[in-house]
Amino acid sequence: MGIVRFLASFLLLALLLEGAASGRAIPPPEDYGMVMIGKLSAQTRMPPVRFDHWLHRAFYTCRVCHVEIGFAMEAGGTGITDETNAKGFHCGTCHDGRKLHEEKTIFPSCPYPSSPREGDECAKCHSRGNDNERAYKYATFTVSLPKQRLGNLVDWEEAEARGLVRPVDGLPDLSGHRPSLAPQADFSISSRGFWMPDIIFSHRKHARWNGCEVCHPEIFPASREDSMKYSMLQISEGEYCGLCHNRVAFPLNDCAKCHSNQVHR
Amino acid sequence: MARFFVVVALIVAVAVTAEAQTGVKKRRPLPYEYGRVILNNYSEKAGFAPVVFEHWLHRSKFTCRLCHVDIAFAMKAGGTSVSASDNMSGYYCGTCHNGKTSIGGEKVFASCSKKYSSDDMTRCNRCHSLGKNVKPQYDFAAFTQRFPKERFGNGVDWEKAENDGLIKPLDFLEGVSVSRKPLAVQKDFALDAKLESMPAIIFSHRKHTVWNGCELCHPEIFTGVKKGATKYSMVEIFDGKYCGVCHRTVAFPLIDCQRCHTRPVEWHKPA
Amino acid sequence: MKAWPVVQAATLLLAFLAASAAPDPRESILPFSISMAQEDWEKEFQAVCSRTDDAMILTVQELRILVQRCDELKTSIDRLEGSRRKVLLKRLQMCRDLYAFTLDTKERD
Repeated sequence: MGIVRFLASFLLLALLLEGAASGRAIPPPEDYGMVMIGKLSAQTRMPPVRFDHWLHRAFYTCRVCHVEIGFAMEAGGTGITDETNAKGFHCGTCHDGRKLHEEKTIFPSCPYPSSPREGDECAKCHSRGNDNERAYKYATFTVSLPKQRLGNLVDWEEAEARGLVRPVDGLPDLSGHRPSLAPQADFSISSRGFWMPDIIFSHRKHARWNGCEVCHPEIFPASREDSMKYSMLQISEGEYCGLCHNRVAFPLNDCAKCHSNQVHR
Repeated sequence: MARFFVVVALIVAVAVTAEAQTGVKKRRPLPYEYGRVILNNYSEKAGFAPVVFEHWLHRSKFTCRLCHVDIAFAMKAGGTSVSASDNMSGYYCGTCHNGKTSIGGEKVFASCSKKYSSDDMTRCNRCHSLGKNVKPQYDFAAFTQRFPKERFGNGVDWEKAENDGLIKPLDFLEGVSVSRKPLAVQKDFALDAKLESMPAIIFSHRKHTVWNGCELCHPEIFTGVKKGATKYSMVEIFDGKYCGVCHRTVAFPLIDCQRCHTRPVEWHKPA
Repeated sequence: MKAWPVVQAATLLLAFLAASAAPDPRESILPFSISMAQEDWEKEFQAVCSRTDDAMILTVQELRILVQRCDELKTSIDRLEGSRRKVLLKRLQMCRDLYAFTLDTKERD
């Protein structure tokens, strides 16, 4: 009897610890927010695509890509193929060799059907992250941007406030014109641990880049009546807040950025 | 003893990250994928690939009412249980897909037949196409090229396309539809959003009844007889009920908040 | 009763007169045939379910009659078989439910 109980408790503890401490390495700042998109490329014997969030987020809001264009927030979850790109969807929405960004033509993505001659052109994205000649380099791009201690080491919020980056919130053919919705008020979320201050969640700050549609209803389905329950365990596993924070937006190690409510209920 | 293991099981269930419906962000369907329905009540059992039905083509040619009331298709994938014998008897898909009916001057290809050879398989695969690389007769990009554009969904403003005369959806099929008296126009009305700062919804009966008639929505989808009788919120709508029956997968999607939430509310900047 | 055929004829005449203002069976609310033969129920279906679009302007009495006619039709359609029965039962149900719904709306007003 006693031995069974002991084993059961040991199993329990082991399971709990396994979830909590996966020992994630902290990536270098230029790699933070990097996504290796390789699911379909491997089948077509193309190296995976290295996608850097830090560059695109400086030019476009999260909403443009994750709502208007419809990218999933999961590597391999979108089903990007050479066909969809060539037809002007996914990456091909902008990377079509015709659209302009800051008066420069955005390089085209995949041709369809693909042909072997475009070897070098393909390597622009299908580089497996190898050092290839990139138009924008992390060091030079971020040198004058305000700093922050974690993630990309860039305080993107401050950068936008100072006008150093101006993320665009819509694409000419895609977005249409709608009166913007008023963001909801900020509110406090109680933290489960008595030792942690409550969280002040700012709708205004999030809605600036996400609108309403990025988060609602898929990530956060509720209205006030249907109160949601989730924990730091799920967040650290990449759900809810963790979908963005710890992968693209400032990482979870920056506890005080969220747990900032001096009053703890 | 048993209680102890129940507790352990519960804690394990909580500790392990389950497949979450919320807390994730999936891809959005591409314009030509939006409105796609997979039908597989009997296909695989009969040795065929499941049927892929694209709404965009049929909706440009017929009103919602024609298929969902006169031909009696359900509004849920698999809800109708269409079988090959139904089609062969001239019902459901077979109402038009019989090799004889002409729509827009074109004969509609026949659906299921009792005897079929390997030559017929090309025809079978036109519908039973899931997982097969079947080239459709109508290409989405070419078909919708001239249509006025809108964001999300199919990327087409179907309403405007009809107003501009680019599409003329048929509402009556001889021998199938009941010949009805013209519709008594219902009034538009406002629905207040539950969240104060969200603009109110202006619901247009007129816009809906042009394609749906009355029976499509009442009482199956909207049961309350008086406005405000049925209590529902965005939670149910996102779940595919009420407005979400159509506006989650076929009509313009719910992600386009401002399409419905149109009446501006005096907004005060939060302190 | 010897006078019974006379009564029957008189009833029919009255029904015909009442319906004569709108001779088209699709226009009439009152049933135009007392006994329903095989083909008649098809015409009856057409007649009954043709008013769904203007259900809101019908009176409570007219709606009650329509619901009743739908229920009577159900017995005829129930005798059919296969796909035809499946489709027509569903169509009849949508039609009947709409009238019942509209009736309910008007009665609560």
